[in-house]
Amino acid sequence: MAEIAGEIVHETEVLVRRDFLKILNVAAGAVAVGAIAWPFIDALNPTKDALAIAQPIIDVSGIAANSAMRFVWMGTPIYIRKLTDGQIAANQFVVPSSLPDPASYTDRVKPGYETFVVVIGLNTGTPCELLGNDPADPRGPFDGWTCPCDGSVYDPLGRVRSGPAMKNLAIPKFTFLNDAQIQFG
Amino acid sequence: MSEISKPWLQARFPLLDSFRSTMTAPVLPREKPYLACLPILITGALVFQLLSGLVLSLFYDPADGFDSVQFIDRNVNYGWLIHGFHETGTTMIFGAVYLSLFRALWLRSYKAPGEILWFISLAQFILLLVIGYLGYVLADGAVSYWSLANTVSGAFSLAGLPGGLGVWFFGGPDGAGTLPRLEVFHAVLAVAIFGILLLHFAAERGLAPRENRGVGLHPYYTSQIFAAFVVYALIFAVLVFFAPHLGENPLNRGPANPLVLPVGVTPPWYLLSISNVGHAFPGTLGSVFAVVGRLALLFALPWLDRSAPAKPPGFLHKFLVFVLAVDTILLSLAAMHGPSLLGSILTVIFTAYYFFHFVVLLPLTTALEAR
Repeated sequence: MAEIAGEIVHETEVLVRRDFLKILNVAAGAVAVGAIAWPFIDALNPTKDALAIAQPIIDVSGIAANSAMRFVWMGTPIYIRKLTDGQIAANQFVVPSSLPDPASYTDRVKPGYETFVVVIGLNTGTPCELLGNDPADPRGPFDGWTCPCDGSVYDPLGRVRSGPAMKNLAIPKFTFLNDAQIQFG
Repeated sequence: MSEISKPWLQARFPLLDSFRSTMTAPVLPREKPYLACLPILITGALVFQLLSGLVLSLFYDPADGFDSVQFIDRNVNYGWLIHGFHETGTTMIFGAVYLSLFRALWLRSYKAPGEILWFISLAQFILLLVIGYLGYVLADGAVSYWSLANTVSGAFSLAGLPGGLGVWFFGGPDGAGTLPRLEVFHAVLAVAIFGILLLHFAAERGLAPRENRGVGLHPYYTSQIFAAFVVYALIFAVLVFFAPHLGENPLNRGPANPLVLPVGVTPPWYLLSISNVGHAFPGTLGSVFAVVGRLALLFALPWLDRSAPAKPPGFLHKFLVFVLAVDTILLSLAAMHGPSLLGSILTVIFTAYYFFHFVVLLPLTTALEAR
């Protein structure tokens, strides 16, 4: 009786040991496959220099109030405009539902950096670059931007006010790193 | 048993069932040596090579070969590792292929009924040599540039069919159009080798004796292959991380310069024994004759060997095959570091011995041992 019991205990031990080895092998194999697959997958990610070009950091400290700087990012013109107090006051309390494409002041600026408007400077109707970055440019009745092609009019926040265009100016993906620097992408 | 009483997937997709029965069919001999795993290891290594090659091809630019390899090594995420996998993978594959050729000579598995399997192995070997040479040329370094330039001008100097083939292959004088087409040939031939491997396994399967009370592929041989794979992977890992440029001419790490000829235009180790045979004969035609003759002798082996097919190899035969392997290694080493007087003399001696072995020694000793 004792012998049989010993036999059973022995077999169970072998089984337990084999199960353990199996789990150990599969786990180590999974780690190895993952470790080999990862370089192949990561190699297809963009390289660091391509990312650096795609995510430029722009210095905005030199922009004077009431004017905008223009630069080209990934083939589209980006306008960064610094608002004056008067422009903020004139646009802050416009009822959004009275606009062709309703958007409030806070929708158009980043919290903490409310004096900067960053938009893609292409008319949303006929795709044309807008005029109005320089105070001397034709800015239309709302002191924003106008389109030289179809005559659409935008306010300083980039909201469409009149014209064939029906949409507000698109806002690119960006973050403020600090008061002076914006990173795109 | 009606079809519908089977599990849902098996009733609709019988491939799984047939796969399982093929894997476990008890028809294989009870014991096979570990080295019999070499074709499977080579296949696995070639799949891995294909994967790393795919990643490299995304970033490789034949118009700017050397710089794009530098870009891969320095800028691409893990590019150095993928490049190392590809380089060391070549070394490992050629190591396994040379070992399996040696094993075939040693065991005389080229004798009837194994001739076709032997021819398929040789076709695979030659295709690998061509792919390996193209890969070496694609690196576009100081040495491989000159190797390509010499090869192309040699091909142009030939008359008739060989010259025509060379001109077709390289597409005119070595220039802007050469590397892009060689990149395509490198990739196309690398895929084509899987067709040859398919033929290899079909021939091997047809030749294998069917056992009545044998064992199944799974789990008996899958575990053997796994153990062989672990050893293979261990050597591979050590080489990737500690000797990624094993057997390469270090001068090839410099950019190609059409105005500066490097001290020695020597290929990587796996091409050395072939290229040195070419150098032992004068002139372009002589080199072509030497290389073709060297490979053709291997094809003639089933007839050069005069012994009876079923007879186990004798001691003298084994000794001579061993000497031949040493001769091939010495032939590779003789001119490894560029041209020298001693190297030239040794190259001629070792090449002469190679031809002497196949044309004289092998028929004589096998006929002697067959008596």
